[in-house]
Amino acid sequence: MTLTVLWLLPLLSAPLIAFMPPRFAKWMSVLASLVILLIAAGVAFLFDSTWHGYQFEEQVPWIPQLHVFYHLGVDGISIWLVVLNALLTVIAVLATPLSTKNISKFLALMLAMSAGMTGVFLSVDLVLFYVFWEAMLIPAYFLLWMFGEGERPARAAIKFVLFTLAGSLLMLVGVIGEYVFTGQQTFDLAQLATIPPSATIQFGLFFVFALAFAIKTPLFPFHSWLPDAYMAAPTPMLVLFAGVMGKAGAYGFLRIAVPLFPDPVGWWDWRWVVPALAVAAIIWGALMAIVQRDMKLLVAYSSVSHMGFIVLGIFSYNIQGQQGAVLQMVNHGIIIPALFLFVAWIADRTGTRDRSALAGLAPRMPVLAGVFLIAVLAALGLPGLNSFVGEFMTLLGAWERAPVLAAIGAIGLVLAPVYLLRMFQGAMYGEPAGPRPSGDIHAGQLALVAPLIILMFAIGLYPYALTQLMASVAQVGLYK
Amino acid sequence: MILAPAIPSYDWSQALADLGQISPIATLVGFMLLAIVSDLVLPRSRRGGVVAMITVTGLAYSLGTAVYRWIYAVGGPAYYGMATGDSFALFFDIIFASLGILTVAISHSYLVKRGMRESEFHILILASVIGMMVLAAATSLVTVFLGLELLSIALYIVCSFARDESSSQEAGAKYLLVGGFASAFVLYGMALVYGASGTTLIPKIATVLGSSAAGNPLLILGIVLMGVGFAFKVSAAPFHMWTPDVYQGAPIPVTAFMSVGTKAAAFAMIVRVFEGGLPHLAPEWQTLLAFVAATSMIVGNLMAIVQTSLKRLLAYSGIAQAGYILIGVIAGGQTGLEAVLYYLFVYMFMNFGAFAVLTLLAGPDGDRDSFADLEGLARRNWLLGLGMTVFMLSLAGFPPSVGFFGKLFLFTAGVGAGYTWLVVLAVLMSVVSVFYYVRVLIPIWSPSPRVDGVPASFSSRFAIALSGLASLGLGLYPTTLLIAGQIGATPINGP
Repeated sequence: MTLTVLWLLPLLSAPLIAFMPPRFAKWMSVLASLVILLIAAGVAFLFDSTWHGYQFEEQVPWIPQLHVFYHLGVDGISIWLVVLNALLTVIAVLATPLSTKNISKFLALMLAMSAGMTGVFLSVDLVLFYVFWEAMLIPAYFLLWMFGEGERPARAAIKFVLFTLAGSLLMLVGVIGEYVFTGQQTFDLAQLATIPPSATIQFGLFFVFALAFAIKTPLFPFHSWLPDAYMAAPTPMLVLFAGVMGKAGAYGFLRIAVPLFPDPVGWWDWRWVVPALAVAAIIWGALMAIVQRDMKLLVAYSSVSHMGFIVLGIFSYNIQGQQGAVLQMVNHGIIIPALFLFVAWIADRTGTRDRSALAGLAPRMPVLAGVFLIAVLAALGLPGLNSFVGEFMTLLGAWERAPVLAAIGAIGLVLAPVYLLRMFQGAMYGEPAGPRPSGDIHAGQLALVAPLIILMFAIGLYPYALTQLMASVAQVGLYK
Repeated sequence: MILAPAIPSYDWSQALADLGQISPIATLVGFMLLAIVSDLVLPRSRRGGVVAMITVTGLAYSLGTAVYRWIYAVGGPAYYGMATGDSFALFFDIIFASLGILTVAISHSYLVKRGMRESEFHILILASVIGMMVLAAATSLVTVFLGLELLSIALYIVCSFARDESSSQEAGAKYLLVGGFASAFVLYGMALVYGASGTTLIPKIATVLGSSAAGNPLLILGIVLMGVGFAFKVSAAPFHMWTPDVYQGAPIPVTAFMSVGTKAAAFAMIVRVFEGGLPHLAPEWQTLLAFVAATSMIVGNLMAIVQTSLKRLLAYSGIAQAGYILIGVIAGGQTGLEAVLYYLFVYMFMNFGAFAVLTLLAGPDGDRDSFADLEGLARRNWLLGLGMTVFMLSLAGFPPSVGFFGKLFLFTAGVGAGYTWLVVLAVLMSVVSVFYYVRVLIPIWSPSPRVDGVPASFSSRFAIALSGLASLGLGLYPTTLLIAGQIGATPINGP
C-alpha cells in the first residue's frame, strides 16, 4: 500500500485542490507534497541495500488475459528518483507565487504530473510503466499551454507532446513486441531481463524503446523540443519538468534498454550508437550554452549537456558508470532546478534574463550571489560538491568501455566552466550596469533552496551514503 | 440433388423457441409497432414525448433481455440456422440497445429545439436498431442482407430529417445512392459465394468449402465484392467518400447514432461472413482488409488535420478508427476478436460522447460545429468541457482512458498475428491523430469572453456523464469488459 499511496495521494488531491481558493489550495498542496515526501523518505530509510530484488512490492492482477499486473516496487535505482521527485514537488509547490493566475488549477496539474512521474519510477510492469509514461504528458501539456510564458506557449506545448508521443507510441509497439517475441507472455521487467529475445529482434525493439527515451532525455538530434518547452515553462513547473521528467528518459534507458536488450546487434551495434549520441549531446549542449545570452536558455542547454553524461554512464555497461549515472541523475535533479530558480529570481528583480545586459549584481544582491555561486560551482563539477563524484564515475565507466568516449566527453567538463562562469561573472561582478535590482532574495526564497544547497554539499562530501544503497538492483544485466 | 427440400414440420413450441432466441429483436419489433400505433392515435402535442418513452422502454427491455440471456448463456441457432442468439449476437445487442437509449436521450431536446417531428425520428431509430441487431444475429447470407437493408433504409430517411435544409437533403440522397451501390456489391459477392458453395447458411459455407476452396476464382471475386461493400459500410478508405458529407449534412444525433451503430453492425457482419463463413480463404480476405486498413488510417488521419468542421473532423477520425479496428479483424482468432469487441464497445462511449457534446451546442437555426463554437466551453458548461476533453484524449489513445487499452489489445493481437508493419503504421498515424484531437481542446480551455451558457437537459447530461465515466472507468478496470469480449468472441471460433 505504501507505494500506491505515493502516486495515488497526489493524484486524488489534485481535483480537490483545483476547486479550492488560492491561498488554501497552496497550503493544501504543500501539505500533500510534504506527506508524500515523508512517506518517500520513510521508504528510503527502511530500504535494505543488501536485498537484490524489488522491495515494498505490491502485485495485483490487472488484465489477466494479457498477464498485465498492477505491480509496483522500488530498488536501488528507482528509490532515489522517487525521493528526488517528492522533494522537488515540495520545492516546486512552495516556489509557486500566490500571484499566479488560476493558481489552484496550476497546483492541481503539478501534483498530477508529479504523480505520473512517481508512477513511472515505481512500475515494475511494462504496461503499467507505459500507462504512467503517457499519462504524465496530459498534465504537462496543459501546464505548458495554459500557464506557459513567452509568445506562443500553445505551440511549444504541442511540439513537446508530438515529439514525445512520436517516440512513446512507437515504444508501444516495443512493449507489445516484448510480450510476443520473448515467447514468455509476460510484462514483468525483472523476468523479461532474464529472457532476451534473439539478437535481430533485440535490434528492432531496442530501437523503438531507445528512440522514446532519447526524445524524452533528450539526446542530441532529438532535443529540438527542449528549448521551446523550457522557455515556455513557468519556473515552478520547470523545477519538476527539468528536474525529474528528463530523468524519466534516462531511467528508461537504465531500466529497460540496457537489461532487456543485452545484445542489440543487427545491421549495427546499438550499444555504440547511443553513447556516441550521448557524447554528441554533451558537446552540442555545451556549445549551444556558450552562445546563449538568455540565462534560462543557457541553463536549459547546460541541462542537455549534463544529461549526456548520465546516458554515457548508463551505456558504459559497468558498475562505475551505471552507479555514477544514477548518482548523476540525483545531482542533476538538485542542481538544474536550483539554477532555474536563481535565474527566475534575478529576472524577477531586474526584469531581464539577458546575461549581457546585467553586471555587478553581486554587491547589490549578496545573498543571491553567494548561493548562486555554490550552485554554479556544483554544476561545473568542482570537487567537494555533488556533481564531481557523479561525473567522475560516469567518465571512469566510459573510459573502461572505450577511452575515446571518455576523452571526448571530458571536453564537456572543460566547456562547462566557460559558459557557467561567464554567465556568473558577467552578471555578478564588474561595474554595476543594466537594470537596478529591486532587492536581494528574501529569507523564504533562501529557505526554499537551502535543502538543495545542503544536499550539494552532503552528497559531494559523502557520496557513499547514496552509492551503498544503490547496490540493490532488481534486474539482471545491470551493474556488471 | 433435391431441388425443393421438404419443408420440415414447424409447430408452436418450435416457433416460440425460435422467437426466444431472437427475443431482444422481437421485443423491439413489438415496441416499434406500439410506437407507430401511438403516433397515429395520440393528439399531436403528446405524440413526441410518449413515443420517446415507448422507445426508451422498448430499448431498455431489449437490453435487459440481452443481458439476461448473456449472463445465463442461453442462445443458439434459430429458424433452421438462418439466425442465432449466441453470445456474439447478444454482445452486439447490448451495444445497439445502449446506443439507442443514449441517442434518444440526447435527441429529445435537440428535436424540440429545431422543431423537427419527434415521433417519426424515434421510430426510425428503432427500426435501424432492429436492423443492426438482425445483422449481428444473422447466420445466413440472406438474413445478413435483410438486416443490412433494414438498417440502411431507416438511416437514409433520418439523414434527411432536417427537410428544409439542403445539406440534410444532400446527405440523405448521397447516403442512399452510395448505400445502394454498396448493397449491390455485397449482394453480387454473396451470389458468387452462393454459386461456389451451394448454400447461404454461413456455418455450412465453411464446412462445404473446406480447405480445397483456396484459390477458387469465384470465391476470390466474391470476397473482393463483399469486401468492397463492407468497407463502404464501415466507412473505410478508399470507400469513405460519402462519410464526411453525410456526417456533416445529417442532424447531429443521427450522425452520433450512425457513426457508432453502422460501424459496429458492419464489423459484426464482416466477422460473421469472413471469419465465420470463409476461414479457409483467410489469406485472401486478410490481404484485402490489410490494404483497406492501411489506407483508412493514412487517409483518415491526414485528412482530419485540415478540417474546420468538427463533424467532418470526427468523420475522418471515424475512418481512421475503422482502420485500427480492422487490425483486430485481420488478426482474427480469439485475441483478435476479443480486441475488436472491446474496442467497439468503448468506441460507442467515446465517439458518441463527442457527438453528444456537439448536439447540445446546436441552435434552433442549425448545427454549430466549428472550432469557434467550442470557445470557452469549459467555463460555459463544465460538464461538456470536461466530457469533450475526456472523449478527445480517449480517441487519441491516451492512458488510462479506454482508447488506450482498446488500442493496446488491437495492436497486441496484430503483432501476435504477424502484422507488425500494420501496427507500426497505426502507431505512426496515431501520433498524427493527437494533433487534431488536441486541437479540439484548445478552444475549450482557452480564456474566452463568451459567457452564454449551454443549456443541457437532464437526459443529455446523463448521457454525457455516463459516456465520460465509461471512457475512464472501463480503462482503469478493463478486465470485466474483456471477459465479456472473450465470451462474445467464442462462438465464432468455437468448435
